[in-house]
Amino acid sequence: MSLDIAGRTATRLSGTAAWRRALTTAVHCVLALLGLAIVVQALIVVEARPQDLITGIHGMADLIWRAVPPDFSKLPAAIWPTLQTVDIALFGTMVGVVIAVPLALLAAANMTPSRYAYYGSRAIIGFTRAVPDLVWALLFVTAVGLGPFPGGLALGVHSVGMLGRLFAETIEQMDMAPIHALQLTGARRIQVFSHGIIPTILPSLLGISLYRLDENIRSSLVLGFVGAGGIGFQLLTAMNLFQYQEVSLLLIIIFVIVLAAERMSAALRARLA
Amino acid sequence: MLRVRGLSLRYPNGKQALSDFALTVEAGELVVVLGGNGSGKSTLLRCITRTLKPSAGEIWLADTDLCPLEGERLRRARLALAMISQHASLVRRSNVLANVAMGALGRHFTLRTALGGLPQCELDAARGYLGDVGLAVLAEQRAGTLSGGQAQRVAIARSLAQRPRVLLADEPVASLDPEAAEDIMRLLQRLARSERIAVLCVLHQVELAYAYADRVIGIRDGRIAFDLPRGQVSRAAVHRLYIHEAA
Repeated sequence: MSLDIAGRTATRLSGTAAWRRALTTAVHCVLALLGLAIVVQALIVVEARPQDLITGIHGMADLIWRAVPPDFSKLPAAIWPTLQTVDIALFGTMVGVVIAVPLALLAAANMTPSRYAYYGSRAIIGFTRAVPDLVWALLFVTAVGLGPFPGGLALGVHSVGMLGRLFAETIEQMDMAPIHALQLTGARRIQVFSHGIIPTILPSLLGISLYRLDENIRSSLVLGFVGAGGIGFQLLTAMNLFQYQEVSLLLIIIFVIVLAAERMSAALRARLA
Repeated sequence: MLRVRGLSLRYPNGKQALSDFALTVEAGELVVVLGGNGSGKSTLLRCITRTLKPSAGEIWLADTDLCPLEGERLRRARLALAMISQHASLVRRSNVLANVAMGALGRHFTLRTALGGLPQCELDAARGYLGDVGLAVLAEQRAGTLSGGQAQRVAIARSLAQRPRVLLADEPVASLDPEAAEDIMRLLQRLARSERIAVLCVLHQVELAYAYADRVIGIRDGRIAFDLPRGQVSRAAVHRLYIHEAA
């Protein structure tokens, strides 16, 4: 009798397991179809035409043919815009760091003096980050005119958002025990900040800032396209004038700058770790 | 030196953490507080430092009652009160000497100390305190590289730099091996005697209390179960402190 019950129970359980397996397979199939549908709609929306790549090979080959050899006689004229590009990034990063540090202190939940300061600073950080640096550059070009200065300002404002968020997260993840210990010794707020908080978070802040500088150098190349100075502006001009040998020279310079910035940033960050 | 009278603390959730607590620690005395988890030991220390605000009672540090004080007056009064905890809580990227000298920051508010500098006189004194805890040779080493026992000694040296009259220690040997724990307790006992500091130390290690305390206070459910000289504390009385925790 009891064996019979056990047998029926086992049959029912194996039946339930089979249903569960079937249901899981059906869900997986639906998810796979959904994924496929998303990819297909993306291909339709971007009007992807792989065949154009084949037919466009002739045009690309012609462009490359006209771009070689690079016109190295234009090298002296490219030095100043190159310096401008690097300095736009440096200026933007410095402005970003100087404004982001106090904002991050207000935006860190473990440091903020009040709820209003917390939400206010978070709003500023969120807004400056949400607006792309290219849009900031267009706004500043309109406000202060063409040249490297609006580019520097654009990178500075956008960096406030990017750095502010990362700085705030670094501060929030900081070990608070040494800070509390310093407070208990009777040290004042500013002393706790300079002796406890700064030494603890400085390596992380420097590392993040160097990474941002690296990013800003790449961004400052593009900002030139909207009139914000630097080598990007010269690249756009050369392309508009069909000076492809100058374009190839400028692309080589851009490649060297980006690679050098990336290597230096990585090496410095490794030293700080 | 440290007198606590009628100290009570009720948490916002209604839990009575301390009830009518009273104790005295004289200069040069090492008093150990024993009790189970959640009995109110650490809460007692946090009330004394005024990290928690007691619901009622008095905390006399020499001739100053800390309970009614707030802001700058509380900060000044608290200068005479040093605290070490289970973890040394050092600034890991600063060197050992700087960590010790930081204990004196509360006495020196200048542009230099506000901007991250330390007074030369305090750096010189810090070398002496490091000598007192047997770590003079590690003065220039980064604090993050120290062992647990060394870090705790540096934390004690930092508390000495504060020149306290009362030293509170919240389970200072909890994360140390037995040998390092004995070292720290010996050091606390020596400092209490030689520097005439009143030391109130929360411990879980009953044997260390029997070995080093002048007096032992037992806490159970936020109340004093006993307050006796070390020699008069029976094993049964100590055992009773932990019974309900085991149950």
